Amino acid sequence: MRELAAFAISELASSGVEYGDARVEDRAVESMTFRGMRLEDAVDSTSEGIGVRAIVNGCWGFASSTGLDREAVSTAVERAVRIAASGAGRTGSRVRLSAQTPRMGSYSSPCIEDPFGVDKSEKMGLLEECSRIMNSDSAITSTYAQLYSERIDRVFASTEGTLVESHLIHTQPFLQAFAVHGGDAQSRSLQTGARAAGWEWIRENDLLAASERVRDEAIEKVMAPEGPSGVMDLVLDGLNLSLTMHESVGHATESDRALGWEANMAGRTFVRLSDPGSLRYGSDIVNFTADNTMPIGLASWGWDDDGTPCQKWHTVRNGIFQEFGTVRETALLVGRDASRGCCRAQDFGFFPINRQPNFYLEPSLEPVTPDDLISGIARGIFIQGRGSFSIDQNRVNFQFGGDFFREIRDGKLGGPLKKVLYGARTTEFWGACDGIADARFFQPMGLLTCGKGEPMQGARMTHGASPARFRGITVGGGVR
Amino acid sequence: MTRGEMLDFVQRVLDAVPVEHAVAELGEERSASVRFGRNAITQNVDTFRRELRLWIGDGSRKTEYRTHRIDTAAIQDMVREAVARLRNSPPDPEYVPPADGGQIYRTVDAWDESTGGIDPGPRMDAAASAVSAAEAAGAEAAGISRMDSSRRALATSTGNLCFHEATAGIFQLTVLAGSGSSYRSTVSKAWSAIPVRRIVDEVVAEALSARNPADSQPGEIDVVLEPQAVADLVSFVLYSLNARESDEGLTVFTGREGSRVASERFTLESDMNGEVPGTPFDRDGFAADDQVWIESGVLRTMMRDRFWAGKTGLPAVVSPGCFSVPGGEGTAADLAAQSRRCLRIRRFWYIRFVDQKTLTLTGMTRDGVFLCENGSVTPVKDFRWNWKPLELFSRIEALGTPERKGFMTVPPMLLRSIPV
Repeated sequence: MRELAAFAISELASSGVEYGDARVEDRAVESMTFRGMRLEDAVDSTSEGIGVRAIVNGCWGFASSTGLDREAVSTAVERAVRIAASGAGRTGSRVRLSAQTPRMGSYSSPCIEDPFGVDKSEKMGLLEECSRIMNSDSAITSTYAQLYSERIDRVFASTEGTLVESHLIHTQPFLQAFAVHGGDAQSRSLQTGARAAGWEWIRENDLLAASERVRDEAIEKVMAPEGPSGVMDLVLDGLNLSLTMHESVGHATESDRALGWEANMAGRTFVRLSDPGSLRYGSDIVNFTADNTMPIGLASWGWDDDGTPCQKWHTVRNGIFQEFGTVRETALLVGRDASRGCCRAQDFGFFPINRQPNFYLEPSLEPVTPDDLISGIARGIFIQGRGSFSIDQNRVNFQFGGDFFREIRDGKLGGPLKKVLYGARTTEFWGACDGIADARFFQPMGLLTCGKGEPMQGARMTHGASPARFRGITVGGGVR
Repeated sequence: MTRGEMLDFVQRVLDAVPVEHAVAELGEERSASVRFGRNAITQNVDTFRRELRLWIGDGSRKTEYRTHRIDTAAIQDMVREAVARLRNSPPDPEYVPPADGGQIYRTVDAWDESTGGIDPGPRMDAAASAVSAAEAAGAEAAGISRMDSSRRALATSTGNLCFHEATAGIFQLTVLAGSGSSYRSTVSKAWSAIPVRRIVDEVVAEALSARNPADSQPGEIDVVLEPQAVADLVSFVLYSLNARESDEGLTVFTGREGSRVASERFTLESDMNGEVPGTPFDRDGFAADDQVWIESGVLRTMMRDRFWAGKTGLPAVVSPGCFSVPGGEGTAADLAAQSRRCLRIRRFWYIRFVDQKTLTLTGMTRDGVFLCENGSVTPVKDFRWNWKPLELFSRIEALGTPERKGFMTVPPMLLRSIPV
């Protein structure tokens, strides 16, 4: 792979481009899904190929091809250079990249037990037993049990002299049970998400115990009364908050949105280029830390697809917005000297774009438990996990659900509820946060499928939070 | 690879498989696009993928293997790998072999030679045209001009051998003019059929007219959905047209086959040789055909895989990948003129299920909401909604001329008394 990357760079250099880079990748994916008591899907796939970027007269060109041989590389280089030249001078702008010191190195994500080394019969046996447990009650009509593992080996090289490689292993378990009762259907899931880790992450999830919990709570949920409407206080767990922060903070603070590059598809953002250092994003206790160096993080690659080292910084500190996530091309346009390393593509076949980093809501430094948060609520709801989610293209108006709900009354947890939605405006919502539990209750959650860009491409990143309390949130249908 | 080479390759793969059942599918996809934002080109790409999918089964167990390593000399290795995986697979209680031999595939002309050539010139011209028009109007353009081609060769151990190729030209444009914006998405199998100049002019003009929107007022009001907005909603109806999930009590269609689910003005069908070309076969080699899903508001059939068909004694129904809602005559503006007071909505954004069982959705309006009242047209701010699309489609007052939006053709709709 290094040799092919070097060959691509030599081809780019000899073609006279202003800048060029190449990503050579080799991927393997193993996915198994039980639907009910049946192994519905067992897919093994491998993919290998190269993606080449070139700048000619200030215009990008990108080409990719499956296959790892010199012919595929030469074809990709030729196409990238040709289409870059075809676009040069057609609009008034020129691509400018922020400065980047050439890098050499290798990064491997943590992995104690290689998931590809675990016998398939052990995996299938585990999923079959999970399915048996979930289907052991007649109220359950449909279940899913899934294991997903991927191995990504990539080499990035540029005409500036960078040559780095990453070796990543990600694993994800998933369980879901649907219960039917009285003409209604409700589901409950295991949503701990993906992690840069090996089979040890599957073991840590204790899927057999989780299957019992998912089954029982799906039945509790479908038989529960519908949630109330009105303005009330909420305690949201880390898994629920992971999606809420992903949509209302992560996407809102991407520099390409602020620049209008996503206006046709993913949308823009209410955050303005002049807002760093002054926009009040949340209450004083709200701190969002971006961290592409966290070992378990799905966006921790060592170097991004610009060849920029992964970094850690504050997106929001003491409630004030600090900094956009950037790539080399956007950094200069938003007033920064250097990129924060947020340039990632789904794989070699996609042009890398500005993606969210790993980031999380910092837990309380003081001892605070979820019960402490709940005890301060006269009437409210405790929401666990992710459900329905929707937000406008400026990342202002959102409506979220959850996966499991419990009433809070007079400072104590009550019975389960269903069909709960909360809605808010982004800065009002984070401004209403008046309590966060401490690090003992922190839950990370890795997403494998954040969609953005055209053609649409997926990205991976990890979020996390401890349970947090929000005052005076509209429940039951969102806000206009 | 040529058509002949692709068919020969999948046949060679099948010949090397030592178990009873197999499906070999070889696909090639090329996608080239120019993306622009804030009046500058931000991406300019030309991508190519070739992938082999090999499904094998022994009458009880099955497995699937995918790879980008396409090499005749490596066929034996690929087959050996797949067979080794098969041995580790448990028996499948829902095992179905590949489609019976003798499938008769519809002839679908989905290929345009010029578009398949992926010439960068027209893509760049379209992008430059949009940017220059927006700049001249003091606005910002963002969008994509794109050409795709795909080719699939598939062979089954039961004797089926099929090939399909398709092209698509896609032009999407958003223009931002201060607080106003507008959008169009146009798809055709032939890039040359896309009226780029007209689209650019329309979108720039509408974005300018959408500036300084007023707050929308809660209450009931007639709504005119542009074709894009209709397509955004119909996608979720299609998602729910799953026979098995409905039989399991999970969808809004449970127990409703043969019953009225929408207005008699609403029909949803698939015409494989309509404006959106269909796909003649599914991944098992089973032949797709025209379908009527909802006929004059009555649910007629749902997508039903071959296992569930066998279990329920009903015919298997696969998606042909093309859908249409027949309409009438006229544009959305013509429909709006039929209402004394209505909101005309360009498109929706971030639609999600609120409740899958009742097919309740939430979403936001985007890129153009206009209050049309007594001949005047004024822009209105975007708003969040929580609607049931089948209830909306039960209030159809009039339908306009259908347009292609992605994989479906849909008309603009005038809906009576919708809560906003």
